[in-house]
Amino acid sequence: MSTGKLICNDLVKKYGKKEILHGIDLEIEPNKIYGLIGRNGAGKTTLLSVLTAQSPITSGTVTYNGMPVWENQAALDHICFSRELNPVIGWGANSLKVRDYLKSASYFFPNWDKSLADRLVRDFELDSRKKVCKLSKGMMSMVTIVIALASKSDITFLDEPVAGLDVIARDAFYRELLDDYTETGRTFLISTHIIEEAESLFEETIFLNDGRTLLKESTQTLLERAVHISGKAEDVDAATAGLSVYHPEKLGRSKGVTVLLKEGQQIADGFDISRQSVNLQNLLIALCGKEPQPHSADVSVGNTEDSL
Amino acid sequence: MNEYLSQEKSIYLQISEMLENDILRDVLLEEERVPSTNELAKLYAINPATAAKGINLLVDAGILYKKRGIGMFVAAGAKECIRMRRREAFFDTYLCSILDEAKRLNISRDELISMIDGNYERSTKD
Repeated sequence: MSTGKLICNDLVKKYGKKEILHGIDLEIEPNKIYGLIGRNGAGKTTLLSVLTAQSPITSGTVTYNGMPVWENQAALDHICFSRELNPVIGWGANSLKVRDYLKSASYFFPNWDKSLADRLVRDFELDSRKKVCKLSKGMMSMVTIVIALASKSDITFLDEPVAGLDVIARDAFYRELLDDYTETGRTFLISTHIIEEAESLFEETIFLNDGRTLLKESTQTLLERAVHISGKAEDVDAATAGLSVYHPEKLGRSKGVTVLLKEGQQIADGFDISRQSVNLQNLLIALCGKEPQPHSADVSVGNTEDSL
Repeated sequence: MNEYLSQEKSIYLQISEMLENDILRDVLLEEERVPSTNELAKLYAINPATAAKGINLLVDAGILYKKRGIGMFVAAGAKECIRMRRREAFFDTYLCSILDEAKRLNISRDELISMIDGNYERSTKD
């Protein structure tokens, strides 16, 4: 197994005049499963494509094991970005057959595992004679999963691999992923909108918001410092005074807030309030969602990078 | 080992509690090998690092021990050790919330005690 890190520094990406990524620093380490979480348009797919040299960067650097990634086969041999498939390419239908698609993937990836690809196609009940444009959304996702897993690349990116998959197929994917990961220890970075069921897979979570990394942290630590506090508004305010408070919601005398504790901080004792753990999905809503119109100005709403 | 994971609590804590429950119920016997980190990861579709954290809690407590190259085993005296630990945690885990709720409902000390007296026998099965 390779020990190379994929590192990007001050990565900026513009499409024309529109800047999508505003200076991203990231370090993707070997032997980890990362989750890439963010809203539509946050820049997730753009980030994945510039990290894998499928699209040029505007400024900054991307290196794998110290080597630049751009047009560098020695680096790219270790990296797989299994993109979402499209029924349409260029001006016409994507009339490649599934088996031809997999065949071309086998030329791309030096560690291609054909027997694994064949087994996954069988298990997912994919018809390899079908044209890509005739596949359902879920079946297209299956093809991208087969490519990602069979590539056996040291660093493998999956962009919304479970989009359109039914719950049984999603569960099968998570298990295949863990099977492979426990055997090979290769790194996976997975972007997904189905956060609730995938969060337990992610050793680390990267929140991308509006072209910036909002945070990158061990999922466990992140969830331990996130807490939802609710109760009588005065009590909630008193118990959370001085803390980073997000997404306040009020109803009558009652109030609920999400708190992201920093090291050494805690919720003040002695108030009759409810405290509940927060999952990644609710944390994303609290940190990246639109703030409801505040009814009073007494709430300190942190929304900058520093306050996390 | 086949309980469902909930979202109320950290997963590694749930993993270590499930292993403890299995030891208390004789699903896992002393000096027997427990499921590996990877087996647990696949069963629950969780990151192996999380499963390892749950197992390590029990290793630190002397409930499991490692046989190099073979795996994790249930230590002799593990059952007693779990009982002792849970006894110590009993006040914080259960009694505190009972007392808080009793106060909220204006249940007096005597009422609470008579409730316990009247029902203790029926709940001593476990």
